[in-house]
Amino acid sequence: MADTLPLRFRVLHYISTVDKTSADQIMKALKPEYGTEKQFTKKVFVDHLLDMKANFIIDDNDVALDDKGELVIYYSINDEGRRLLKKYLPKRWNQK
Amino acid sequence: MSISGNQKAIMMKEKLNSNFARKGVFTGLFSGCTWGLNSVLLGLALGLVPVMGENAAIFAIPLAAACMNDSFAGFWLLLYNGGAGRLKEILRSLKTFPGLMVCVAALLGGPIANGGYLLGISLAGPAYALTITALYPIVGALLSRIFLKQQIVPRVWVGMLLSVIGAIVISYVPPEGGNSETFYLGLLFASLAALGWGAEAVLAVFGMSMIDPKVAINIRELTSGLFLAIFILPIVGGWAIVSQVFTLPGALGAFAIAALAAAVSYLAWYKANTTIGVAKGMALNGTYVMWGVIFSVVFLNSPLTQNLVIGSGLVLIGATLVAINPKEFFKKGEVA
Repeated sequence: MADTLPLRFRVLHYISTVDKTSADQIMKALKPEYGTEKQFTKKVFVDHLLDMKANFIIDDNDVALDDKGELVIYYSINDEGRRLLKKYLPKRWNQK
Repeated sequence: MSISGNQKAIMMKEKLNSNFARKGVFTGLFSGCTWGLNSVLLGLALGLVPVMGENAAIFAIPLAAACMNDSFAGFWLLLYNGGAGRLKEILRSLKTFPGLMVCVAALLGGPIANGGYLLGISLAGPAYALTITALYPIVGALLSRIFLKQQIVPRVWVGMLLSVIGAIVISYVPPEGGNSETFYLGLLFASLAALGWGAEAVLAVFGMSMIDPKVAINIRELTSGLFLAIFILPIVGGWAIVSQVFTLPGALGAFAIAALAAAVSYLAWYKANTTIGVAKGMALNGTYVMWGVIFSVVFLNSPLTQNLVIGSGLVLIGATLVAINPKEFFKKGEVA
């Protein structure tokens, strides 16, 4: 297992492995790695996603309303995000 | 399950995004306000340091103050991040390239820019040095345009220009005539300061694409504080000042409180830069000059001169121009 990545970095990496994903889905996927940490809250994940979107490395092209009528945004990585990962993701993570 | 055509969901998303951008604008303004507070508090703290001769006043005292400001701010941020369960994130970030870029940003914005600023003032005189260093938001905006491909609309340029002119009017001091030998070297150092602060913002924003701004600013403050303490203070005799301050509880407390304002300000600045872009973040942070005037007038009974009123007015108009209509930041920046 490679070193644990900083959470924002890991979220970007996770998004690159799927077609599109939401904050809840990302949290579910990353729970085994970060689930015990105090920073593991929906608010933190949403903030990371909004920041990365504002920095043009992920897109939010798909939206839906869930059963409770709450907004679900689906994010996907774009070319710039992929370029950053290719360049800066630690080597051991690249091999996964 | 996806209902991407759902108008309601799209509207909710747009509202969320524009609220996020609006919050970024307020965060930027807040960073300027608290930086103004930091400047005033740091001035008060410096007033408690015993007089130690003219040479100390030029380099040792300001650099010792910068070191204490950054180190104490780094300590406050450690407490903050510790409380929020993010201490592990600091080490994780330092093991990645973007984390190391934040360290480089810290050196550019901390020791290099601060040193350049002080040398610029001492060699070229404040009239010229302060005017050049006030250009840092424009340098940052240009660098972000080139390296981060961030789009900057004409309205933001105009607002930024007005703010910078306002800052120059506020800090205006009558020129005392250029002293030929060191004058141009001083201008060079002042330019280095503007370049250092601009480059700091751009490098940090790049790093923060992948690491948390709250962690990045903690790394920045600790790196800058430690570098100043280990490499710069011994050269300029700054440790004598620091040890003096530690024997005076009043002065130590004043520096610690000033650093708390710095920690809050820097936290807000890094967050704003990453949320609304470097140009807007820096321009809004630049309102600190105006806030500093307001705090000095209200709390320290400083006289309100014509320059301060005109300059603050320009900063305010400029910042408003920069801040309104945040929607364009949701469009992808074009390649220059």
